[in-house]
Amino acid sequence: MPVPWEALIPFGLLTAMFGVAGTLLNASAHVQNQGKGPRYNTDAWDEMMMDRDKRLTGHKRGQRSDPVAPEGFSTSSQWYTEKTR
Amino acid sequence: MSLFHDPATASTPYKDPTPLPDNVPKVAEVGTTSAPLKSASFFIGAHCKEFNEDFMLCKQENRDPAHCLKEGRRVTRCAADLINKLRENCFKEFEEHWSCLEYNNQEFYPCRKPEKALNKCVFEKLGLSKTIPGTPEGKTPVHELENPIFKRQQK
Repeated sequence: MPVPWEALIPFGLLTAMFGVAGTLLNASAHVQNQGKGPRYNTDAWDEMMMDRDKRLTGHKRGQRSDPVAPEGFSTSSQWYTEKTR
Repeated sequence: MSLFHDPATASTPYKDPTPLPDNVPKVAEVGTTSAPLKSASFFIGAHCKEFNEDFMLCKQENRDPAHCLKEGRRVTRCAADLINKLRENCFKEFEEHWSCLEYNNQEFYPCRKPEKALNKCVFEKLGLSKTIPGTPEGKTPVHELENPIFKRQQK
C-alpha cells in the first residue's frame, strides 16, 4: 500500500519555518549584542551603565578594563547641551 | 532652544565652553566599563572604604557639586589605583570573571568558579577579601556556599 507521505509535507514545512525563524531571531539578537545574549531585567541603573559603556567604547555592550578614560569622556555626557538661539 | 549633538556623529571634537578653573586639579576619569567594574566592586569597597564614606558624608551635608570636589577626586584616584593594581597582579583571573559576568546578564551567581579564583588571587597578592555587608549572623555568605540554590543550569 502506498504511504501518503504528501500529507506530512505541511508538518515538515511548519517545523522548518519555525526553526528558521527562531534561528534567525537568535542570530539577530547575538549579532546585535556583539556575540553575547541580550541583557534582560535591566533597571534604570543598568541602562545608565550601558549608556556609560557606549560613551566609553562606542557600543552599549562593549567592555574595556583600562583604568583611565579616553579623551573627551568627561565632557561627552548628555547633560551637556549646546544652547543656540 | 537647546540642541544635543551626539559625540559619536560629530565632525569636530567637542570643546568645553565652561571648563573648570585652573586651580582645580585635573584627575582622569575611571575608564572601566560596567562588567569589570562590577567584578572589582567588592574590592573597591574594601580598598577605598574611607574615601568612599568621606564622599558620601560630604554629599549628605550639601548636594552642590562644588562642595565635594576634593573628596570626589580622592574617590576617583583610589578606584583607578585599585583597577591598576588588579590588572598588574591578577589580570587573567579578573578578565575571566568579568567576561563570565558579561555572558550572564552581569549576575554573580553563574560565575562562582572564576570568582573563587579571583578572590584567591586578590587575597594573596593584594590582601583584599570580599565581604557582603548584609549577611545574617552565623550564616555563610552566598559567595562561599558549597551547594547554592541559585546556580548555573549546566556545569
